Amino acid sequence: MSGIDAVKKIVETEEEARRIVEDARQRAQQIISQASKEAEGVREQVLADARRRREEMLTRAREEAEKEAMESERETEKLIENYHRAFDERKNDAVRKAVELVLQK
Amino acid sequence: MMEMSESLEKLRNRILSDARLKADEIIREASQKADQIRNEAREKAEREASEILARAEAEAEAARRSIISSRIRANRLKLLEERNKIVQSVLTDVEERLSTVATTGNFQEVVKRLATESIDAIGSDHATLKIGFPKTSRDKFNLPADALPRGATVVYDEKLAEELGGVVASDSEGKIAYRNTFRARLDRLDRELLTLVSSTIFGEQRPGQREEVEATSA
Repeated sequence: MSGIDAVKKIVETEEEARRIVEDARQRAQQIISQASKEAEGVREQVLADARRRREEMLTRAREEAEKEAMESERETEKLIENYHRAFDERKNDAVRKAVELVLQK
Repeated sequence: MMEMSESLEKLRNRILSDARLKADEIIREASQKADQIRNEAREKAEREASEILARAEAEAEAARRSIISSRIRANRLKLLEERNKIVQSVLTDVEERLSTVATTGNFQEVVKRLATESIDAIGSDHATLKIGFPKTSRDKFNLPADALPRGATVVYDEKLAEELGGVVASDSEGKIAYRNTFRARLDRLDRELLTLVSSTIFGEQRPGQREEVEATSA
């Protein structure tokens, strides 16, 4: 092998070595780019999950509140029935006492 | 020549080997960086998610309280309106009953009491006493002689029937007057009447008592 051939060979080898490193750099870039995409995907997934759970919590809270409110309304209706019953039973007494108060005081 | 070829081959291998090592290092570093990016993104997203959920808990509690308290307020208002309707219904009957007092047996006694109170209120022996009641006429008033001071003058005023009946006393100069109509007495006794009617119908329970307890504990 002549000296020129040897130099050629070395130049070719260095070119191959640069390609290897350059390929690696490109691959590295792809890996990081892919990781960034995955990270964004993970972030969106985690946040979407959190938002879904938030909606569930709000819905559940509203449903529970509605149940409690309905219970309060049932009790209110019962109280109103009691008022009407009391009115029917005691109206005459109340009128009599009020008239007496107006006439005598 | 053989030696040179071997040396060249070794040099080539060395160059390629170094390049591969460097490439491996680049890939390794990139992989580490990628792991870091993913981990940091996950951690950041989880922190944000925790904040979202913490806020959501507070929002949910606020929504729950808001719904319950607004409904409880509405229910309390409904109860108060119902009680008010009942009390007003009783008071309407009271007015009705008072407007027919002239047809009752103790009418003269009632008139005497109203008149005496009115004259006492203005403190004049020469009072003018206007008297008027629904469902009656001027010849209905036969007050006993001792019912009024000697100097008092009695005048029938049918307009007083519009106030459910009663008397209005005024001094001789007309500067001081005391209205003792049933309407005026109802107005003066307003709070007392409301309390009396309410306690007679509903007992001692205050309106919305249960709801107030619930609202406090909510």
